[in-house]
Amino acid sequence: MEVTETTASQDLKVIVFQLKDEEYAIEVDYVQSIERMQTVTRIPKVSPYIIGVMNLRGIITPVIDLRKRFGIEEKKYDETTRILVLSKDNIELGLIVDSANDVIDIPAEKIEPTPEVVGSVEEEYLRGVIKLDRRLFTLLNLDKVLHDKQS
Amino acid sequence: MSNVEYLDVFIDESQEHLQLINNSLLELENQPNNLSLVSEVFRSAHTLKGMAATMGYEDLSHLTHTMENVLDAIRNEQLEPDDKVMDAVFGSVDDLEAMIEDIASGGDGKRDIEQAVQQLELALNGEVPEVPNQTANATSETEAMLEVGTVLDEGFDQFEMTVLTQSQEQGFTVYQLKIELDENTMLKAARVFMVFEILENMGEVIKSTPPVDQLEEENFDNEFVVTLLTKEPGTELEQSIRNVSEIDNVQMIEINVNELKAGLGQQESAATETAVLEKSVPTKKQPASSPDQKVEDSGSSDQQPKKSDINKTIRVNIERLDVLMNLFEELVIDRGRLEQISSELNNSELNETVERMSRISGDLQEIILNMRMMPVEQVFNRFPRMVRSLSKDLGKQINLTIHGAETELDRTIIDEIGDPLVHLLRNSIDHGIEKPEVRRNLGKSEEGQVELRAYHSGNNVFIEIEDDGAGINKDKVIQKALTNGVVTEEEIEKMSDQQIFSLLFASGFSTAEEVTDVSGRGVGLDVVRSTFESLGGIVEVDSELGKGSIFSIQLPLTLSIIDVMLVEVQTEKYAIPLSSIVETAIVNKEDVYSAHNQKVIDFRGKVVPLIFLQDTFDVQEAGQHDEYYSLVLVNKGEKMAGLVVDSLIGQHDIVLKSLGSYLTNVFAISGATILGDGQVALIVDTNALIK
Amino acid sequence: MSSVLIVDDAAFMRMMIKDILEKNGFEVAGEAANGEEAVTLYKEANPDLVTMDITMPDKDGLEALKEIKGIDPEAKVIMCSAMGQQSMVIEAIQMGAKDFIVKPFQSDRVLEAINKVMA
Repeated sequence: MEVTETTASQDLKVIVFQLKDEEYAIEVDYVQSIERMQTVTRIPKVSPYIIGVMNLRGIITPVIDLRKRFGIEEKKYDETTRILVLSKDNIELGLIVDSANDVIDIPAEKIEPTPEVVGSVEEEYLRGVIKLDRRLFTLLNLDKVLHDKQS
Repeated sequence: MSNVEYLDVFIDESQEHLQLINNSLLELENQPNNLSLVSEVFRSAHTLKGMAATMGYEDLSHLTHTMENVLDAIRNEQLEPDDKVMDAVFGSVDDLEAMIEDIASGGDGKRDIEQAVQQLELALNGEVPEVPNQTANATSETEAMLEVGTVLDEGFDQFEMTVLTQSQEQGFTVYQLKIELDENTMLKAARVFMVFEILENMGEVIKSTPPVDQLEEENFDNEFVVTLLTKEPGTELEQSIRNVSEIDNVQMIEINVNELKAGLGQQESAATETAVLEKSVPTKKQPASSPDQKVEDSGSSDQQPKKSDINKTIRVNIERLDVLMNLFEELVIDRGRLEQISSELNNSELNETVERMSRISGDLQEIILNMRMMPVEQVFNRFPRMVRSLSKDLGKQINLTIHGAETELDRTIIDEIGDPLVHLLRNSIDHGIEKPEVRRNLGKSEEGQVELRAYHSGNNVFIEIEDDGAGINKDKVIQKALTNGVVTEEEIEKMSDQQIFSLLFASGFSTAEEVTDVSGRGVGLDVVRSTFESLGGIVEVDSELGKGSIFSIQLPLTLSIIDVMLVEVQTEKYAIPLSSIVETAIVNKEDVYSAHNQKVIDFRGKVVPLIFLQDTFDVQEAGQHDEYYSLVLVNKGEKMAGLVVDSLIGQHDIVLKSLGSYLTNVFAISGATILGDGQVALIVDTNALIK
Repeated sequence: MSSVLIVDDAAFMRMMIKDILEKNGFEVAGEAANGEEAVTLYKEANPDLVTMDITMPDKDGLEALKEIKGIDPEAKVIMCSAMGQQSMVIEAIQMGAKDFIVKPFQSDRVLEAINKVMA
């Protein structure tokens, strides 16, 4: 939550990724790497959106499926599927997304608060929306994603 | 010069010295006449003082200094180390510890030490002394002197004049020297002594202002004037003195005795002459005489038992060891991969090389793991102090004995077990050991015995805490467990005494209302249990009412690399730690029975329930079944279970890795490992599976 | 380049002195943690100079000084003392120590002492 306040006045560099037909953005600072889909070992008895753990250069990294997390219909993983590996506060987490496209700079004033209704994604996971050259990105609330309470 | 780079070493060594001080003080309490212990404490305090002063921690060095005075008095048998004195010393050790701790956690080491200092001074003098004002009258004296001395026109009495005249006739030159010490000079008397040594080597000092005894007492500011008879050239004289450290300035004039004579008054009487004579004769020897007395006591301090602990060691930052360990873990993974490839290729030369490499890396592993091992002493050595103060607080008499403090454990484990052990010890002292009068009535000795043991057995280290106190009242435990809903009456009926005692560790057993000051602290024994379990340990308790209790903790030697049995459940691979495996078996499906809706087998006359990992872990059916069950028999204390898997792959050394901090509390999985093929296998926490 | 043997029971102190020395172009001939080691190392390394702590276990600095002086009467030894050890310092100087430095060490004091002794 603090992130919102401290960075709101600054320009943001974000990675843009796709889920279904929407584009999302996430601060590039916390993205450690972008990986192609790889073998993930299932973990029993955890929330369905937690796909499992993968071996990321010797570090066991949990992987979640963002479509499942946001309740978007499932889709087979394919060539464009990417895992965004986030790293913040000693937490490492892989997010499976449909594709990760580009890195863009966003002037702070382009970030607007989340409108009341944004598709099906729970509002608390979002930090705001960005309108830029007729494109609309939804900015992910990273802290919320990383500190997700498992049910 | 930046001190930051020394901070780690400073903290490390300070902690070691504090520990040494603690240990020796405790021993001293038992053997108050053993002055060599005092010397040890003194030495550590002394070293600590020097280091603290160097690092600029004034409170720390001030307190150690005051403590040193008390210790010195004990050492010189001027002070009896009675309870009051020891309490004062222990009290200041507490302050020292707090300061070091503060420094270690990034603080400035400042602390209000006035009370501790007062206590020490009270112990030393029987009263709180006023700030000694010795320097004040000293300066007034010197100031008077310097008024005369500044222009070097020091006066001589008649006797002195006679000496001067005669000397000059014999070819001596008379010099008057004003020597200024650096204002920061710390042992001024020693500096003066050095100057006098040189002067007396080159000639004869016939007068000094202030007089030598005052110089020795350091009753002067920074400068003094001497008159010297010498045949050496003046330049050499000056150079020699300038070559003494901390000499700021030397002013020298040659005195023409005849000129002096002309100006000398005639008022001196014969009486003064003799008085001066008596005074000036011993001058020359005086600086040497006082050290002589002290030689004796410095000599006696050396008659300590020779304790030879000269090990050639180097200090290595633990982070470096962690890096080494991580790199080695990578190597182990690749080794696994290599072993797999070589078995597939079946090339004898490759096999041989890989085998050799595996052997070497096995040796390497042992060395690396050993490097991380530390004696449990690190944890144990704070307990005597704690027990001492705790028994005082509670009005109990307790004798704590420690065995096996040299037993080694991985440093990661050492770091974690301190607090839970403290908790158990407090528990034994608070709830176990009875008050002296109660013990007397029971026919026990008034002093309760608490024994802390550590020993090594197989791949485990056992730590046991045994007391000869009241023991655990089984009925009370049952009653409380029932009230708090930890167990049902039916369950109780099936439980052994030991299992009932273990209810103490069940979560929800302790309630806040009966938390005592001592062992309570708002945390139940369940936290103790879970801490040990998170380290791969097991806690057990046994007790006999009226006789005492014994808490026993089993810990793995090391955390990172463990021996596991790799198994396959359909297409998924799991690792089961060998430490919890009793054995593996293959049973015919026909030998499986049902009892109370539970599949069981008869294993050597014992009914063992089966746990189907496929069901427990919701593993997707892949159609791999045959007429046999592959079983891994595991135990948790007395209880046993058979884990049903599809195939046993084999025994492997694996590197235990955490699942990361995103995932917490994953059911029955204690971690993960990376297999030779790069895939992740989960490690099964069998304790969670056995109910 | 002058070589110096550092004797102190505290690794911390040794590190400090070593640092001062090395920054100023001296070579550290060895480090000893007690008097016993100091004497042995003195024989082995035959340094140009020794910095000698007074309070040490097993064999203190004064004893070590005496032995070193016995081996090599020309040995140049600087005593490292703390406040309150005046009498021992004086004793050491009588026994032939060339100078002394007092903890807490000031690096310029250490250098002054060494330079003067080496002069």
